[in-house]
Amino acid sequence: MEQDRRAQWLRGVLDLCVLGTLAAGESYGYQLAQALDAAGLGPIQGGTLYPVLLRLQRAGLIAARWRGGESGPARKYYRLTAAGETTLRQAATDWSGFAGRVGAILSTGGTAVRTAAGGAQ
Amino acid sequence: MSRDAGGAPGAHGYRRGPMRTDGWLAALAAELHRHGLGSDLTGHVVAEAAAHLRDSGESPLAAFGPPDTYAAAVAASVGGPAPAPRGRVVGPVRLAARGITKRYRRRTVLADVDLTVRAGEVAAIIGANGSGKSTLLRICAGLARPDRGTVRIDGRLGYCPQDGGVSDFLTADEHFVLIGAGRGLDRSAARRAGLGDAAALDWAPKPGVQARHLSGGTRQKLNLALARLGTPDVLLLDEPYQGFDRGSYLDFWHQVWRWRDGGTAIVVVTHLLNQLDRVDTVLDLTRAEAAA
Repeated sequence: MEQDRRAQWLRGVLDLCVLGTLAAGESYGYQLAQALDAAGLGPIQGGTLYPVLLRLQRAGLIAARWRGGESGPARKYYRLTAAGETTLRQAATDWSGFAGRVGAILSTGGTAVRTAAGGAQ
Repeated sequence: MSRDAGGAPGAHGYRRGPMRTDGWLAALAAELHRHGLGSDLTGHVVAEAAAHLRDSGESPLAAFGPPDTYAAAVAASVGGPAPAPRGRVVGPVRLAARGITKRYRRRTVLADVDLTVRAGEVAAIIGANGSGKSTLLRICAGLARPDRGTVRIDGRLGYCPQDGGVSDFLTADEHFVLIGAGRGLDRSAARRAGLGDAAALDWAPKPGVQARHLSGGTRQKLNLALARLGTPDVLLLDEPYQGFDRGSYLDFWHQVWRWRDGGTAIVVVTHLLNQLDRVDTVLDLTRAEAAA
């Protein structure tokens, strides 16, 4: 149950977290997965991450290029586009508003909700 | 001993991994192709997955799941098959049905229905059971007479019925030769064309097997290949994918896009809606029936 809820939350914000991580600089899929894990989101499967990257790329929020490593194989590097930066800024504002309201409801035991309902009756 | 220094699971996976990973990547490429993703995109997705597996040392199943599941997720994230090439040339009108009206006894099945399909276009006819989808297609094919209205076909016509159309005691080969002859193809040309379309639908007909021994889905593949003989300009398909497994169903739509891009005018009767955002025209007969 708890696991389910976490997965649902993650589905809702994974694309934004990817944008946020890419704001720190160009990166490739496996590195992004590690960064998100290190940031506390937990392990993210390739099967979950890459479709999100494709969707963001299709939407023009990130751009990609292949780069050969000095020693290793070629990797697909992603970076934020101007449209991606705009989306990220807007989403950051929206998210803190939303998270704040959810947090208020959870921590005050719904006082705000009761007041509003009382006013209506 | 030193091998385990990097972490047992990764090292273990790497030791046994390469064969399994190659097989998984090949299966992924095939599944992406089935979803109609272009070869460029397929190459990128496969190469990216390969790089991830090399970097992480994970097994493909643990990282990505089964190839068909991952391919479906990729296809969904890019919006399905590659869109028609930009600036796709749409040709002259190949099929023009005007004011088609059909009554069975006192029931109006089709009321004043119009349908226009140009070369290089796909039209879908949808609607509830009994809404006249098959009847309209039969009228377009010249197999049924409307009570009112006209159908004009410009070019050669291919028609794939919902069932029937296949003779129990003939082999696939004999079907190709027989139907091909009716369309001016000699034996070898008919065989080549038939086997080519069969292969595109993931079916290699076995010599000497009569049609009555084929599964329902395979009979429909034969039906489709027969409708395609002589590369008709207008292709009328009545739910031709019945009995197909999911892979063959994707193969079928992939072929539809290819035929369309080759300039064929295609009409598909369907009750499955998930392909409709990629067809040029949707004719919904449900409303017509309700109004009648």
